[in-house]
Amino acid sequence: MTEGFLIGGGLLLAGVLLRKVAGPIDWSVFAWPVNLIVLILLVAGIGVMYALRRRVYAFEWMMHSSAAVPCLLYAAVLTIVMGLLPQVRSGGIPWLSQMLTFWPFVLIWAWMMVISALAALNHLLRWKVREIPFILNHLGVVVAIVAATLGNADTRSLQMTVFSGSPEWRAVDDEGMVQEPGLAIELHKFTMEEYPDHSPKRFASDISVYTEAGQSVQGVVEVNKPLKVNGWKIYQYGYDSSRGAESEYSVFQLVHDPWIFWVYLGIFMMIAGAVCLMLFMAPKPVR
Amino acid sequence: MMSWNLFILFALVAVALWAFGAFFAWKERPRLVYLFTLAGILVFFAFIVGMWITLERPPMRTMGETRLWYSFFLPVAGIIVYSRWRYKWILSFSTLLALVFICVNLFKPEIHSKSLMPALQSPWFAPHVIVYMFSYAMLGAATIMAVYMLLRKGNTTAAEINLTDNLVYVGLAFLTFGMLFGALWAKEAWGTYWAWDPKETWAAATWLCYLVYIHLRKARPAEWQDACVLLLVSFVCLQICWWGINYLPSARGLSVHTY
Repeated sequence: MTEGFLIGGGLLLAGVLLRKVAGPIDWSVFAWPVNLIVLILLVAGIGVMYALRRRVYAFEWMMHSSAAVPCLLYAAVLTIVMGLLPQVRSGGIPWLSQMLTFWPFVLIWAWMMVISALAALNHLLRWKVREIPFILNHLGVVVAIVAATLGNADTRSLQMTVFSGSPEWRAVDDEGMVQEPGLAIELHKFTMEEYPDHSPKRFASDISVYTEAGQSVQGVVEVNKPLKVNGWKIYQYGYDSSRGAESEYSVFQLVHDPWIFWVYLGIFMMIAGAVCLMLFMAPKPVR
Repeated sequence: MMSWNLFILFALVAVALWAFGAFFAWKERPRLVYLFTLAGILVFFAFIVGMWITLERPPMRTMGETRLWYSFFLPVAGIIVYSRWRYKWILSFSTLLALVFICVNLFKPEIHSKSLMPALQSPWFAPHVIVYMFSYAMLGAATIMAVYMLLRKGNTTAAEINLTDNLVYVGLAFLTFGMLFGALWAKEAWGTYWAWDPKETWAAATWLCYLVYIHLRKARPAEWQDACVLLLVSFVCLQICWWGINYLPSARGLSVHTY
């Protein structure tokens, strides 16, 4: 395990140097097609490492649980640091308050993905039914996290405020820039129910959505019940809280996430993996 | 109509039944153990169901309500462990721990019957909380085992280590369910499955800590004492994730999970 701690230490050091030289990680760089290229390189790199495992001891070692321990430990410590320090867009504690763009954090997680993928590949290619739980757990986490990370730059999240009676096609992004998602929303009716203490119980918007191709969809959007139209998911986001049920507008969040299928695939593999973890992977009871 | 005023009644009956169950475990009368423990679980569950119906929502909203589930799952975890390992003391421990959480609920309620905001009205709400509470109970039992083994150092048996491993495997599986159900729910409610909200960050840290345990046990089976220390650290993370986060300056006012 000493090797693992040294490699982790090396990654931290390399990360700190990268942070000094190149600044924080700019995730928007990974927008399509860069993410696809990175993914191909990653898969190819793992394939090469696997092929050379007999010749390069390090690659063989990376598949073993003794490589996983230091890696997971580094990841846990950095994640705990992230939980202890306030995470803000800018300012705060230098480097550590922007953990998600901090090179050492990302390098350690990337290393975790590489060794987990190698271990999964190793078990996949020695195919036996009893390897399924191991493969589901290790491949599932890689598929989910790699897809979520690389797909992040392709995700679009916009807010659209729609007044009843006037269809809207413009929305704003996180930076407040006006964007056109390629669909228009018409608000027919906003409804709201309150609890006796006047806190909101349910709010919903009866809407029609028109796409550029001339398609129109009618539906009700409420919290926890988004509407899916043309690759976008439309979420009930807010309303005029000063007027409550009398609100004349409704605010929607529009999310387009082209990589979501792969994230879900990874998540479902992990859920199946967790079922196997308790049924087949736990050691047999000893009395 | 169920109400918190009746809690003390149900809790006393349940704890008494669990105590009898624990007593018969020492006397090696398994049938009476199952009878009393399951009866206690049933009485306690009746209160939860009653609250569910009266509140017209799952009783999982407040800290007090989550503690209710925790006290419920401790004897459940205890009887499962008993049925497979026949430890005489496990039910005494689970009863004592359940009693602690019941007392917290009696003396520091935090149970003001809050209404359920729209974000929490989802079919994911109940499974998300229930699997987490079951996981916390399992991992709590694993922590007790770790303390017990660390204190007795030389006298630890293979069966005790085996039990601890099993508790962690089942606990981690349910921790994974809780986390991923939360992600699937978040996608439906907020449009993002993972936002590194402070609660999520601590959930990830906790999950990683238990993964270290599992891999360490595989890589270095002889070093079970290190693994036990790790379980203590992991349980601290879990507590921060569950309620400690409400007191952390880094999370205050930032988390969408503060209820």
